[in-house]
Amino acid sequence: MRFFDPHIHVASRTTDDLDAMAKAGIRGIIEPAFWMGQPRTQLGAYIDYFSALVGWERFRASQFGIAHYCAIGLNSKEANNEGLAKDVLQLVPRFALKEGVVAIGEIGYDEITAAEEFAYEWQLDFAHRHDMVVMVHSPHRDKKRGIRRSIELAKHHGVPMEKLVIDHNNEETVEDVLEAGAWAAFTIYPHTKMGSERMVELVRKYGPKQIIVDSSADWGISDPLSVPKTAALMLQRGISAEAVELVTWKNALDAYAQSGQIDVESLYQSPQIDQRTFFSDNSVLRGQQPRVDAPIPN
Amino acid sequence: MNTRDFLRELAARTWTPAARTWLERASAEAARGVDDERFCVLFSEASRWVRPKVPLAASEAECARAEKLMPGFSPERWTALEATRAALLFAHKDLERDEGARAVDELFRYADVGEHSALLKALPHLPGPERFLVRAREGARSNMRIAFEAIACDSPYARHWFDAIGWRQLAIKALFIEAPLWRVWGFDERVDAELARMALDLADERRSAGRPINPETWMCLARFAGKRGLESLERELATAGSRGRAGAVLGLARAGELERVRALAATEKDELVRDAVSAALAGRTDQTAFKILDAAAQGVR
Repeated sequence: MRFFDPHIHVASRTTDDLDAMAKAGIRGIIEPAFWMGQPRTQLGAYIDYFSALVGWERFRASQFGIAHYCAIGLNSKEANNEGLAKDVLQLVPRFALKEGVVAIGEIGYDEITAAEEFAYEWQLDFAHRHDMVVMVHSPHRDKKRGIRRSIELAKHHGVPMEKLVIDHNNEETVEDVLEAGAWAAFTIYPHTKMGSERMVELVRKYGPKQIIVDSSADWGISDPLSVPKTAALMLQRGISAEAVELVTWKNALDAYAQSGQIDVESLYQSPQIDQRTFFSDNSVLRGQQPRVDAPIPN
Repeated sequence: MNTRDFLRELAARTWTPAARTWLERASAEAARGVDDERFCVLFSEASRWVRPKVPLAASEAECARAEKLMPGFSPERWTALEATRAALLFAHKDLERDEGARAVDELFRYADVGEHSALLKALPHLPGPERFLVRAREGARSNMRIAFEAIACDSPYARHWFDAIGWRQLAIKALFIEAPLWRVWGFDERVDAELARMALDLADERRSAGRPINPETWMCLARFAGKRGLESLERELATAGSRGRAGAVLGLARAGELERVRALAATEKDELVRDAVSAALAGRTDQTAFKILDAAAQGVR
């Protein structure tokens, strides 16, 4: 099977992870801009981070036959440093219209503060002006209210619901999102957000329409193979192959391809890997024989 | 006609009506004067109007024309988007002044992979190309081959502006990342004894590690091969595969060892090595002779 993981912070994953992801059938990923586990203190750190998302990280993933897209935005946690946040927002236009940027994200609420709301609304306006998809991070604490408010404000700023993805949903929030007509994404995390087993039951109950599964794997305990693993469990538990394909591949593509930045046709073809496109003394390959033109077994 | 107008002309025929309208509007804005942030947004937005990765598809005649306009410049491997971005860049009002140099530097600062490639390819066509040497050297240090080749290959930039240290590093880096060294314009004019020494050290290092030697390594010896170089070439002939031996044959010819090459002509069975022998005996020993190794590079190291 082939998979699309529309939320993974792959900058903090190793080449072993990328290799395992490719072997598991992951053909495309989206890396939304987020924080790095601790708040950044200067503007330059954001410039270099955004640059890596559209540069080195894309190149690194391509070495494993994985198409890398990204979302650009100021995240909610760091929006609370108001002085710096204003400068970071000024950076958003410089990066958001680049090749392969499929959305503004991940933006939204963390503690639902006024500063977070300022950054969220500023970026909703930008997305609306440029007809972009919006990827919303929903808060861990007071999630239900955070999601309702996120949807309300997105509507208020003219973002069409088919261009709105609300992420990190759970059993308590999914109905609000589906009823609004937005995409409901679920992050499969070991221990915390949502497990594969619960995800199977959610798809059984609500069907596959508007539902998206992702890993949100990052620098914490998380699993870059969440999407293929959850797909395997769904099949094993009797969810139809069509439904599994929708929630682990096609829905996310439909949502984010609205950006015009995803070459969907090429994702359907078997990826060709040519690691000779870069390797050297100081790069992903260090003396190994490069894999050339090896198709990903599916 | 200068290369700026020429590139714009090549780009223009790839534009859809919508792309043309956008580019003309954006160019007019740049020509009136824009702040750096706005210019950066326009430069990145080009990818939303011209599809990335579509070749510019310059004809042979056009490539020959390019070489006449600016020796060392070839649009052969440019994309339509790169040429479009170059056209936008050339439209900037203050290109010749410090404000223009700063605007270009800001583009580099915020560039993604595709923009980096376009900027580096455009550098020799800007007024005062030496103003951007720091960025060019960065490109030649890049591990992203697309960026490296944008400055190193089919461009006169490095030949004219890199000092000896930068030039030799570029050559050895090309060997590391297997970028086509024969496409580094002006290479033959700037081979020196020090580069030959560095290439021979690299060959030894690879042999000690039990790894194959990039056959373009032998391009770096030329008339500076010396005794050490000739020994290394003979060892390659005795031990390497088809590409390595073909490269060594060209290396021998470049070192003036035509008698040795003639002797190989009588016994050699391998087709690629025979091609190298024929080229050498026909006097084709300049850097472009190594082009025959390109096709054989697919799937082999």
